[in-house]
Amino acid sequence: MSTDTSTSNVSGTESMTVREAIREAMREELARDEDVFLMGEDVGLFGGVFDVSDGLLADFSEDRIRDTPISEAGFLGAGVGAAATGSRPIVEIMFSDFLGVSMEQTMNQMAKMRYMFGGKTEMPITIRTTEGGGMGAASQHSGTVHTWFAHFPGLIAVAPGTPAAAKGLLKSAIRSNDPVFFFENKMIYEQTGEVPTDPDFTLPIGEASVERTGEDVTVIATQRLVGESLDAAEELSDQVSVEVIDLRSLYPLDTETIVASLEKTGRVVVADESPLSYGVHAEVVTRLVENGFYSLDAPPERVGVPDTHIPFSPSLEQEVLPDAADVTAAIERLA
Amino acid sequence: MVTIDIETDDGQREILRRMMLIRAFDNEAGDRFADGEIPGFVHLYIGEEAVGVGACSALEPDDYITSTHRGHGHCIAKGLETDKMMAELYGKREGYCNGKGGSMHIADVDAGMLGANGIVGAGPPLATGAALSAAQKGEDRVALAFFGDGAVAQGQVHEAINLASTWGLPAIFLVENNKFGEGTPVEKQHNLENLSETAEAYDIPGFTVNGMDVTAVYEAVEAARERAVNGDGPTFIEADTYRYRGHFEGDHQPYRDDDDIEAWQRRCPIDAFANRLVDAGVLTEDEVDELRAAAEAEIEDAAAFAENATDPDPSEAYEDMYDVSVPELSTYAGGSLRADGGSTTDQ
Amino acid sequence: MADSGRSDPVVGVIVNPAAGRDIRRLTGGASVSDNYAKRRTAACVLAGLSLAREPVRAIVMPDASNLGQRIVDDAEDEAVSLLDMPVSGSAEDTRRAAEAFSSIADCVVVLGGDGTNRDVATGIGETPVVSVSTGTNNVVPTPMDGTVAGGAAGLVAAGAVDRSAVTYQHGTITAEIHGSAGSETVSGLATMGLLDRPFVGTRAVLDVSSFVCGVVSRASPAEIGISGVAGGLETHAPDSAGGIAMEFGDGGQTIRAMTVPGIVESVSIARWSRLAPGDPYTVEIDRGVVTADGEREYEVADASVSFIIADDGPRLVDVDAAFGAAAERGLFIDSS
Repeated sequence: MSTDTSTSNVSGTESMTVREAIREAMREELARDEDVFLMGEDVGLFGGVFDVSDGLLADFSEDRIRDTPISEAGFLGAGVGAAATGSRPIVEIMFSDFLGVSMEQTMNQMAKMRYMFGGKTEMPITIRTTEGGGMGAASQHSGTVHTWFAHFPGLIAVAPGTPAAAKGLLKSAIRSNDPVFFFENKMIYEQTGEVPTDPDFTLPIGEASVERTGEDVTVIATQRLVGESLDAAEELSDQVSVEVIDLRSLYPLDTETIVASLEKTGRVVVADESPLSYGVHAEVVTRLVENGFYSLDAPPERVGVPDTHIPFSPSLEQEVLPDAADVTAAIERLA
Repeated sequence: MVTIDIETDDGQREILRRMMLIRAFDNEAGDRFADGEIPGFVHLYIGEEAVGVGACSALEPDDYITSTHRGHGHCIAKGLETDKMMAELYGKREGYCNGKGGSMHIADVDAGMLGANGIVGAGPPLATGAALSAAQKGEDRVALAFFGDGAVAQGQVHEAINLASTWGLPAIFLVENNKFGEGTPVEKQHNLENLSETAEAYDIPGFTVNGMDVTAVYEAVEAARERAVNGDGPTFIEADTYRYRGHFEGDHQPYRDDDDIEAWQRRCPIDAFANRLVDAGVLTEDEVDELRAAAEAEIEDAAAFAENATDPDPSEAYEDMYDVSVPELSTYAGGSLRADGGSTTDQ
Repeated sequence: MADSGRSDPVVGVIVNPAAGRDIRRLTGGASVSDNYAKRRTAACVLAGLSLAREPVRAIVMPDASNLGQRIVDDAEDEAVSLLDMPVSGSAEDTRRAAEAFSSIADCVVVLGGDGTNRDVATGIGETPVVSVSTGTNNVVPTPMDGTVAGGAAGLVAAGAVDRSAVTYQHGTITAEIHGSAGSETVSGLATMGLLDRPFVGTRAVLDVSSFVCGVVSRASPAEIGISGVAGGLETHAPDSAGGIAMEFGDGGQTIRAMTVPGIVESVSIARWSRLAPGDPYTVEIDRGVVTADGEREYEVADASVSFIIADDGPRLVDVDAAFGAAAERGLFIDSS
């Protein structure tokens, strides 16, 4: 397994969960810049519905860890207005399925302001939200919608698959002068990994990370499926040498890293929990075709949700959610 | 300090001049749109000048405003330059947005003008956010959202006011009730007769003022501003006004009679204020004519500036998307879809 | 209107849709009077009419907000109808309705503030008025439940009580203005004055300290505004002849008064005097605003303004007296 691709000076690491990594990223940025604040439903007193912001209210004021009404259009819009006037809000949308409620402020204000105004405003806002099925939350609390945001011009979309990526990317997102959507798969909050402790540690947005090197097949994965793919690669290590890439950034997309891997392996699986049609898979494959067509030794494989919503009943939910077995099957079809 | 002090003779002249400038600008914009010189569509503020000028004059220069699709008047009232505005309507590089925004998106964030807005009801959440920003930074600033009667029916307007009142933010919500939401009369859009009664739902002050009287709007906003900076929270003001022109230029207006328009034209906010200043001895009739002629001359100059301004280079379409450099944009610019610049053969 | 109802007594109902929504919701402690509350009050007025025990027809003023129409619709009663008159959407509607009611109504219930009552006064003649406060800073109308107002109006309209015994005539004030912009007459009911401010602005009088002078046709320390200030000097009943004129400023007495809803303060009165009916009180001013009944009405410059009090105002129903007189006659006791 490769180490992370931090560009910063790393003084040491600490084992922590994705949840802790996100919390530490926010804590460090809140301490570093007084223009940064967090707002969202239940982020303060409650500590976040997934405990991600637990403890921040005690360390910072109510002004900066701000509980909102259940009013996504209102407070996300307020975040846009605050970002346009010199603040650096982190807005938490409890479940990404709720992003639809605030879509107007996202698509017509946040995404377009800089461009429409001829570059004369910054939009330093970070939207944190949770995605993914696996906890019986049914269709309105389990979706993976990041494709919409990666697709929409003017937005930046990142979806980390490891604790280090979560911390480094969130810190970069908060420091960015562009609107960044930060998608957290809720099933990997407890996943642990080594995370640099240097408060200056950040990861550049727009760079993928080779998490495991291999020679035969490349798996380009996101979020929970990074870990699932690493498990699959380990399982198959006697038969096939699998390279696993954490895509990390959906837009901009690191074409260079994925094409370089394709050129080495000639075979690619794209694993992402969004629905298969018109999604992240399609964009990754297109980049590979456009830039590495002659390196392809086999048609690319896609692993994702087969164009359904996430059903409630555990047996149905497990049926549609992709996992290591689906990645393994895809690798086996290629190898 | 208010932007323009209405208590002084100079302030009164300047308020009149700004209203005249808006009238002249929008008359010119309407004419030039009709001539086919201005692309897209334009929404004119004619008839509503007292609202924008009354409100912005009573704000302090550092205060924020959000605007609407009918935003030319708000821009001029906030002190934006008419030549750069007209250049923007023409889609020229010298425009406020380098030609990327046009009539509906003129903005000057440094001047506190957070943008005209093509989405009805989108401004109030932005104003709530600007007020939040000011409050968090401890700045003595307020944010005023101009929005129309139609926007009062929008969910996000409710959310914005609820948030601002719950958090006690220094915001002012100013409804320009011009009697029509696009092509539908206000009474067909709201069961509520007096839109200012909306305020009761948020436990904030709400009241209605004569939007054809610049002194009434001024006084209302000055009082609302004082409440806001004292930390007492937002105020909801309804300005009773009237849109003399169609929703957009070229609107055939089946929803109203000429008689109604004429009745409101007799209450013209510019003539009314000019007459009062003449009666009070602040201006002579000749001086009023001179002010109007000077305003019209400034707008003619602005139009000439716009005509002679530069078309943006096509490559500028790929600029201003992000603060950072995004490789996709440099790859795709000009039509190539490949990171290597478009070579079609390999190996 | 049904023929059978032609001889029934008529109560006119005037509801001002614009009353109670001015800036004093922000600058003072004025309460809110929304249209829903006005409709409910009007419904109570209509219900109260039946206290008179005989059929009473109600005719409601139409308005640009369709408030009157909705009151009639909600009543679902053929004895309740809308007055047939053109609607302008301004105070002219109230004046026009008052004039119509002066000839067709036996009593009128007015829901509004001092401003509304001033407009009613211009045309109502001798028709008795039950005045219910829904506006702000009100001196003339009284806060009361609509049912009580309707009950009193029904008793008066039906002739169940002696009209002259249960009504009193309010005074009026007129300002004759001669200024650089020509001559004009502005009228008021309880109070008029001159403000040292250039513009009418939001109309409401927000700051008593900018008064140059004030003239009142009634005075009581229990009232809000300059009739309350005058009342601190001397009380003067609404139906007493003449009134009081005051010059604001230092050098005289300081009066503690309720100047605006929610505001109690001390006001300096340089000089004051009683003003007999018909005697002008004249003031010269460079630039200012003439006020009437708590509202800024008219901007003046280089003007001479003469205020004249007359005893020719509307005939207002003393509601307590009306109920008392009816009770004395045993009108509330059901016959078995």
